[in-house]
Amino acid sequence: MKKRWPGFLLIIVLLLLWEFASANKMIDPITFPRVSVIFASWTKAVMGSGDLTRQLMPSMGRILTGFGLAALIAVPLGLLMGTIPMVYRLLEPITEFIRPIPSSAYIPVAILFLGIGNEMKVFVIFLACMFPILLNTYGGVRAVDPVLIDTGRTFGLSRLKALWQIILPAALPNILTGMRISLGIALIVAVVAEMITGNSGIGYFILDMQRVFRVPEMFAGIFTLGLLGFLINFIFLRIEAYFLRWRGTSVET
Amino acid sequence: MTATNEVQTAPIIEVRNAAKRFAVNGQSLTVFDGVSCAIPQGAFLSIVGPSGCGKSTLLKLISGLEPPSGGEILFNGAKVTGPADGMIYVFQQYTKSIFPWRTVIENIEFGLNSHKKNLSRSEREDLCRQYVKLVGLEGYENYFPYQLSGGMQQRVVIARALICEPSVLLMDEPFSAVDALTRAILQELILNIWRTIPVTILFVTHDVEEAVFLSSRIISLTKSPAKIHEDVDIELPYPRDQITTRAEPKFHGLRQRLFASIFLQEKGVAP
Repeated sequence: MKKRWPGFLLIIVLLLLWEFASANKMIDPITFPRVSVIFASWTKAVMGSGDLTRQLMPSMGRILTGFGLAALIAVPLGLLMGTIPMVYRLLEPITEFIRPIPSSAYIPVAILFLGIGNEMKVFVIFLACMFPILLNTYGGVRAVDPVLIDTGRTFGLSRLKALWQIILPAALPNILTGMRISLGIALIVAVVAEMITGNSGIGYFILDMQRVFRVPEMFAGIFTLGLLGFLINFIFLRIEAYFLRWRGTSVET
Repeated sequence: MTATNEVQTAPIIEVRNAAKRFAVNGQSLTVFDGVSCAIPQGAFLSIVGPSGCGKSTLLKLISGLEPPSGGEILFNGAKVTGPADGMIYVFQQYTKSIFPWRTVIENIEFGLNSHKKNLSRSEREDLCRQYVKLVGLEGYENYFPYQLSGGMQQRVVIARALICEPSVLLMDEPFSAVDALTRAILQELILNIWRTIPVTILFVTHDVEEAVFLSSRIISLTKSPAKIHEDVDIELPYPRDQITTRAEPKFHGLRQRLFASIFLQEKGVAP
């Protein structure tokens, strides 16, 4: 944390500048309310009325469900693609075709099949999370040193055991990277989906506040989103550092 | 020269007319063809030869990690068709062969994977600690490989190979990547282990001096396509140690003769 204080200082300076500019009408105080006003409505929305807190839970639920399902399916699938050439040849073209489509473009299709409810949002998040995890897992498996595989063979390890005891841990750094990328995407897709067809969630909250012109609340929602993204990433880095402690280079302390 | 005192017992490994060919740019490249030899139980046999002659490839064929293109390998009289139970291959690149996510003791325990499954947890741990001690790594049980020096990592790899009590240890230039002093210490370590544990060691090296110091017998290969050039018994008494053995005139004589033969091969002067 020690070396990061200049970055935090910059944030504080920028917020103070904003406060000052808005208070002195150098920027439009209606579209850019003072930071202190935003903070006040944020405290109210989080601690007082709890409007924001109530919207945070559905978003988090969707993100974690969609991400969790994606990880549960993409990791084994990536392991299979990396170890069995037939599976790779079978799945590679379809992966390459779906991957470049921006995940928000699935939303209209998903609405047709799943309606505008929670299932649709979870599904879209799931789909968006699949590819980074799948491709990074596959890449990690392909990068496993053949000497490591041969070491397993000389000790008489079965293919299944080698998958579990050698390939999975060796590919773990890549798998975790894929997961971290996915979590970032999940947040984006969740917000977009909630804005398009929402009646709950932080994305819905932000758009709703903008529509009724409660600009401080809208900003409060956006700041919360920033904080949420930061927190998710921070927690995940901690988890990553624990699982990869054998690499000797701590990701962050 | 033949190994007169060893031919009485049945060989533990027999190489019969082994051949290995690789396809390189659509052309077939013969590494060797028609290599035959018998390795008696309990031998410390080194394979030396000019670089690229296929020493390591021959070792890979014997281990069953790679199939021969012709001929066959027999281990205890049975044809080798894949990695055989009872033979462990120790890779030259120990940094790539050690499991970085396992601690020292966990790496060693990996050797018990398909052996001694009926041991209890505490018995397994006791056994692992015995092997930690054998290679002199007491106190480092819970270190991860990145915290160890190259020589220590190589000790872990050796302990991991020995814990499943293989009858044959196949070592591919195991000490080529460590500094000279560490190498000398590891050479003594492996000699002591070989003399206390009933294990046959096949040792590939490009270092003739190392081969003479360690081996009971040396096979030298010609340049590719390789043939067996010489098969020499090293009649230096065991126990050997780095100071006195290396001072013996006989050691120098053997080293000099073998070195000359390989060096001339490498230069392309010899037969």
